[in-house]
Amino acid sequence: MAHDVVQAVAHDFGSAAGGLESMSEHPSYLRVFLTFARNSLVRDMTFRTNFLVDVVASLTWVSMQLAFYLLIFAFAPSIGSDWGKYEFLVFLATTLLANSLVGAFFMPNLSEFSELIRTGHLDFALLKPIDTQFLVSFQRIEWSTLANFVFALCLLAFALVHLENPPQAIQWVLFIVYVGCGVAMLYSLMIALSSASVWMGRNQNLYDFWFYITNFSRYPMEIYEGPIGTPLRRAFTFVVPILVVVNVPARMLAQPLSAQNWPLAGFAILATAGSLLGSRWMFVRALASYRSASS
Amino acid sequence: MAIIELVGLAKAYRVYQKQEGLLASVRGLFHRQYRTVEAVRGIDLQVEQGEFVAFLGPNGAGKTTTLKLLSGVITPSGGTARVMGHVPWKRENAYRRRFALVMGQKNQLWWDLPAQESFRLHQQIYLIDPARFERTRDELVELLGVANLLKQPVRELSLGERMKMELIAALLHSPEVLFLDEPTIGLDVIAQHNIQAFLRHYQQLRRITILLTSHYMKDVAALCKRVVIIAQGRIIYDGSLSGIIDRFSHHKVITLLFPGDDRMPSDLARYGEVVEEFAPKVKLRVPRKNVPDVLAGILARHAIEDVSVEDPPLEEVIAEMFSLAGEAQTGDGEVDRVAERVT
Repeated sequence: MAHDVVQAVAHDFGSAAGGLESMSEHPSYLRVFLTFARNSLVRDMTFRTNFLVDVVASLTWVSMQLAFYLLIFAFAPSIGSDWGKYEFLVFLATTLLANSLVGAFFMPNLSEFSELIRTGHLDFALLKPIDTQFLVSFQRIEWSTLANFVFALCLLAFALVHLENPPQAIQWVLFIVYVGCGVAMLYSLMIALSSASVWMGRNQNLYDFWFYITNFSRYPMEIYEGPIGTPLRRAFTFVVPILVVVNVPARMLAQPLSAQNWPLAGFAILATAGSLLGSRWMFVRALASYRSASS
Repeated sequence: MAIIELVGLAKAYRVYQKQEGLLASVRGLFHRQYRTVEAVRGIDLQVEQGEFVAFLGPNGAGKTTTLKLLSGVITPSGGTARVMGHVPWKRENAYRRRFALVMGQKNQLWWDLPAQESFRLHQQIYLIDPARFERTRDELVELLGVANLLKQPVRELSLGERMKMELIAALLHSPEVLFLDEPTIGLDVIAQHNIQAFLRHYQQLRRITILLTSHYMKDVAALCKRVVIIAQGRIIYDGSLSGIIDRFSHHKVITLLFPGDDRMPSDLARYGEVVEEFAPKVKLRVPRKNVPDVLAGILARHAIEDVSVEDPPLEEVIAEMFSLAGEAQTGDGEVDRVAERVT
């Protein structure tokens, strides 16, 4: 059995790697993704009132967050030594960008994945001649959450106009790369957690988990100091690297580039690669243990 | 060479045994009891290209588990299987493009969208050439008579209409092997008949290999020449539908029509078990070997207006086989003995 699992892992890694190369063996992942996006939009438009309520609710939530931080800056000039009001607004916009991307593309799919496992509806995903992880990760897109993405872009533009040192082109490139890394790390955490449903039977903690995690990652890591803060910072940097998710890209854009940042930036790349590979391994193991459900 | 070949295929599950009561639940947090359920216990089976085979068996017999193993949805705990030369649970794309699984109780189409949107997605996932996709889709839509429903959201279709759409989705990539798990479950008689007619026509047209599980004997009688009966995870019969009666029915049903109510004798039980009595007509269940003597005795003693000798209904024979196998849940040895008795 262990041999079978190893073979399955090797096979899945192989098919994932070859996925974009051989057209005769694999479908066009981009075309399939665009069809998912189109179908999700058609579905969202069908229930337009629900769509509008979702947009209003999520915009209200992020506006309240913004108001809360503006209130803090009415009483304090900065958070730590590096994060003045507009630097922190860049940080907040980065948090919203990463969260809205995860919320739009992965959150609906990965909470659905746990349910697919529990109800046995994952059967159909396993029948399709396409990478199963791709299928369960991108099947649905929550277009309404992208309203937060637009909000975040506006906030970012507003904050950058007021920065003393506007970012250089290289900082923009690094920012985009590291936001991508952050999203990939959050995605990896989520798919690893939802894969655990195969062994747990029932796993409805994804939204709770998401709330706890983003609670930690939405603050500058400098605030985690002292006998409680330092161990927390280390744990959430090196064990579960969620502090890296927002801190690295936000610093790249809001602060002047400095040699002090490179160790953490290098670690972020390693953490991203490790998270993606680790979660892929766990996903493949979960599929090998999948036992479907009574029909 | 067989297109489907199973040797000693087995699947066992470990199932948590929850004890009753709060205290037992708390104890279960620390010490859990599990039971091993052997859903499939070493199945050997060969299916040739173009066969339409029915899998029959009571609930929990292992039919669906076998189909899931053959589809690569789950991995076996023992034995081997090859379908068109592929090991299903390796989940190779080359294999997944050559078969389809339709489950009567599960829905794979996008619920809120018209079925045609799901069909388009299938075209891309299965890499179907656009011209071939349109040709196949139009042909299937016409055969099933659902052209006017393509733009209707799936959630607004009736169960029968939804099953037709599921079949179209499953056949768009022209699979060579089709696994059907209770495709007519819950459908009314007309919808059942339509699905049967479609499957018969499609199978004859394309000569594909089909494995069907169903609880409706009419599905099986209408579609399959070969029947595999599975009980307690073992195959207990593999042969023709008519062969089941020849081999397992130990009784015949004699129907007698007497000239009038008052001419019907009261001691008919001496000839056999009276299964139905509406004077002046009576049905007797008689051991097969006694039929000539019983008939001779009745005809010699009583005035008879009409007589017929028939096999018992197929459902009855199969139900008898199922209950025979069901009684043998006490252990493996018992199951073996039942298998020996019925094979």
